[in-house]
Amino acid sequence: MRGERTARRTGAGVLFAGFNVRPAVRPPADLSSCRAKTSSEAPNSVKGAENEAKSTRTPGLCCVLTLTIVVVIVACATASAERFPQPEFDSGYQMPAQAHPSAWGNAWEYLDVAVLAGALVTASYLALKWRRRKGMFALTVFSIVYFGFWRRGCICPVGSLQNVVLALTDPGYTLPLSALAFFVLPLGFALYCGRTFCAGVCPLGAIQDVVVVKPVRMPRWLSHALGTIPYLYLGLAVLFAAGGAGFVICRYDPFVSFFRMSGELSRLVMGGVLLVLGMFVARPYCRFLCPYGVLLGWMSRFSKRHLTITPDECVKCRLCEDSCPFDAIRKPVEDEGPEPRAAGVRRLGMLLLLIPVFVAAGVLAGGWAEGALSRAHPKVRLSERIAREDAGEVPDGTTESETFRQMKTPLSALHEEAENIWKRFLAGGRTLGGLLGLAFGLNLIGLSVRWKRFDYEPDRGACLSCARCISYCPREHVRVKEQGGTSDGVFRVP
Amino acid sequence: MASSGYLSRAQGAVRILHAAARGTAAVTAVFCLVIVVILAMSLAQARKADPIDSPVLEKLIREMADRPDDEDLKYQIRSLDLLTRRAHFATRAFIRNGAFLLLGGVVLLLASLRVLSVLERRLPEPAAADAAEPPHLFSERGRRAMSIAGGAALAASVVLGILFGSRTVPPASVSRPPSPRPDGGDVPLFPSREEMLRNWPGFRGPDGNGIAYCTRAPLKWNGATGKGVLWKTEVPRPGFSSPVVWGGRVFLSGADRDGREIFCFDADTGDLLWRASASGIPGSPAALPEVMDDTGHAAPTMATDGRRAYAMFSTGDLMAVGLDGKKVWGRNLGVPRNGYGHSSSPIVFRDTLLVQYDHAGGARLLILDARTGETRQETVREVETSWSSPIIVETESGPLAVLCADPTVAGYDPETGLELWAVKCLEGAEVGPSAAYANGLVFAANDNAKCAAIDLETEKILWDRLEELPDCASPLAVGAFLFLASSAGEITCLEARTGKVLWQREFDDGFYASPIAAGDRVYLTDRNGVTHVFRAGAKYEEVAANPLGEKSDCTPAIVTGRIFLRGRKHLYCVGEK
Repeated sequence: MRGERTARRTGAGVLFAGFNVRPAVRPPADLSSCRAKTSSEAPNSVKGAENEAKSTRTPGLCCVLTLTIVVVIVACATASAERFPQPEFDSGYQMPAQAHPSAWGNAWEYLDVAVLAGALVTASYLALKWRRRKGMFALTVFSIVYFGFWRRGCICPVGSLQNVVLALTDPGYTLPLSALAFFVLPLGFALYCGRTFCAGVCPLGAIQDVVVVKPVRMPRWLSHALGTIPYLYLGLAVLFAAGGAGFVICRYDPFVSFFRMSGELSRLVMGGVLLVLGMFVARPYCRFLCPYGVLLGWMSRFSKRHLTITPDECVKCRLCEDSCPFDAIRKPVEDEGPEPRAAGVRRLGMLLLLIPVFVAAGVLAGGWAEGALSRAHPKVRLSERIAREDAGEVPDGTTESETFRQMKTPLSALHEEAENIWKRFLAGGRTLGGLLGLAFGLNLIGLSVRWKRFDYEPDRGACLSCARCISYCPREHVRVKEQGGTSDGVFRVP
Repeated sequence: MASSGYLSRAQGAVRILHAAARGTAAVTAVFCLVIVVILAMSLAQARKADPIDSPVLEKLIREMADRPDDEDLKYQIRSLDLLTRRAHFATRAFIRNGAFLLLGGVVLLLASLRVLSVLERRLPEPAAADAAEPPHLFSERGRRAMSIAGGAALAASVVLGILFGSRTVPPASVSRPPSPRPDGGDVPLFPSREEMLRNWPGFRGPDGNGIAYCTRAPLKWNGATGKGVLWKTEVPRPGFSSPVVWGGRVFLSGADRDGREIFCFDADTGDLLWRASASGIPGSPAALPEVMDDTGHAAPTMATDGRRAYAMFSTGDLMAVGLDGKKVWGRNLGVPRNGYGHSSSPIVFRDTLLVQYDHAGGARLLILDARTGETRQETVREVETSWSSPIIVETESGPLAVLCADPTVAGYDPETGLELWAVKCLEGAEVGPSAAYANGLVFAANDNAKCAAIDLETEKILWDRLEELPDCASPLAVGAFLFLASSAGEITCLEARTGKVLWQREFDDGFYASPIAAGDRVYLTDRNGVTHVFRAGAKYEEVAANPLGEKSDCTPAIVTGRIFLRGRKHLYCVGEK
């Protein structure tokens, strides 16, 4: 518990540090005041659940505080814009017109931020306080309509992480405040109350959620292995955004074509395939591709509060076992299994010793792949193309190469820039490979550690807080009846 | 009885609702499928009828280039364009409407499926406890799956490395950090424009255009008596290359049957600082090619960028030496087969050296890396043998290299070597003079061809002239005037815009050296070594006629208030003491 608090404090500080946001951004107030009084027991135990339910500090208070922080940031931005007027030159030099987009954006973007915040608050209430699947479904439909069809799928938090990466690596890029808000708000809510963003706010998840018809249970080891793909996608997205090769998450967004009612055929087909697959394998993009989900999962693991299946105690009736289409419910594990403890300890020790090997292998692999990675950058492709044209290896020029030649820019400048980009991708590829190697090793270690669990509880990293499992719990129906309401019934208490 | 009746009515209603939902789902599923197929076909059709990429339209437009006044053709193009656009936008509207229909169908389908799932919902029936995957099995299978995935990722990166390699940029084309000077400072990779203008880096000065940016130059001197001469130094080997000057150094090349060398003189004192032999160059022929006496083996004027000095010889040897005389690189471009002997001078452009290498073995423009001598670009030219040198023209759209040869005057991108334009005006000539440039016009002149003024904007000949043409001395364009100096001793001044003859003068001795403008005066040395100084104006006004004391065919270098002249045996520096 103490470790969780430390992790949360560090995580909150990291969120707001080091961004090139114009105007300047002040770090937020200490979020520790948001936290409920801690319990010495695990939150999903009987006593912890009671404390959670009885806590007087509602999620709404922290959500209001988060909104206040956003308003403070905006106010600071206003103040700093006035504090730093443009300089006046004695020589009469006129500052050129600003080429980058203003950090202020337009009114629609701020409305989007407000709607996002409101939807997150609503989703958190629905998951933690009201515990209603019908309400969550209604919110899901709203998100498809507003964030999807009305706002055409952009800007979304999933892609905003690339804007943030670019702002961190390119001093010339001005991060719009709305993009920063879209990136930070869902993470902040995940840090406090789990992946409520995924529950009914994210338009990409929402469109997949509504097509879940007959979910098929995948072998858990398979879904676990496929769950490593988002890490690779996240690493590549960060690398390409930092290297100036573009926003791959946006370029390969499978559902934006549906929201905009137009798009490339390949993207339409990709989206269609995912949706058809999603009828049987629930939310395939969210579980096996979404790079933002990696960050949400990390935040959610340390969240103060999280959706629980039972409102109070788990009676281990097993009725919720197959209720989750995303296979995010973990069963109680009370025995240690047939494998001798010594063998497990030996394996764990070996894996720990192999961590540096995995990291080194990842660095090597990243270095080998940098040739392909650097070609994602248009300048590198152009440089190579022009070199091949001048060497006579290809007969004709492309539109890009012909346009470049007409601009009379020195060829040496292009090649020098391409060389610098290649070097950046080499360093970035090796770093990415090393980090993936480390993640691989930690994953294997996680599979080798024996976890004990006493109740049925959602996996905090994988649970999307959709509230489907709640109505399977008989304790939930007792609670609702005691409060005089009617439950979303899988079955109703007579 | 009442309750059982109620239940049976409720069950009946559920059955009806179930059937309705199932029917709706089936119908909407078929509907959606049909819409998808129709949309796919429409998309395929839209791709074929792309108004931007229409081969028929492109063909008609190409025909119109040959028949610009054909009204029927114009009408045909407009009609076809309109039809194609109409069809394209109609298809787009059809697809959009279909997309909305599909959206509606999908919503109805999902709603009916949801109703079905609610109606068919069953109470949860947990499987037998021992049928579930035990945790230890999950861990074992999970580790195996992760190991396979990790191995596959590693293999994929190896394959990517093999397929795409590790480096994508040609290393020879990449700028490297500048080499430090001996005192530890850093020198930029190539000189700035200001540095080039302050010095005399090649044949006919900065850009090779015959304009000196030093406006204060001596007017009168006498090389025979020493009047106005600061110093006079014997040049160890003969040559017809003109002096180049950078900083406090004057560079000359010289060659005879015994050897080929580069000489460096102190610009203030005339002392020979060092001499570097052009020997040991890979590919250099053992025997010297046959050349005319008027050309010799060291006719091309050297070039320098203040970092190195470059010299070319009749053997095709091209050598670069540092400012300390140490050889930096040397290569042989192939022995040129050009009858008279190679005389085209290289020119420095930023960090490259441009070499016009037109001879019977194949004409080409070479762009060499000045630091290493490696070829960055090589452009094959469809021209005859020539002896002229490239000039660099700074236009509004960027720098241009202009080369003259039989039959064309051509403009090239000095970075890429790409030919940007070519104008035929020198057919049938043995082209020796280089081009001149002023105010958007390029001038080329050669005996047995014509003198032409080419408008760079239209790439067309503005005017041309057939009389009193040079065959060695390059034309000089100064402001509104163009000066021609022929080997027969005629100086002609023309109005640059119109070609109108403003004045002509005849002298006893012909001109091989090219005229140079400094301020409002022109300096032109005849073959007897007499430098005629006259005003660059609509009337001939002689300012001075300065004898050198020996014959000369070299073009003077005018820089830092001094003039450097090369005679047959000596190098002179003229200026005020």
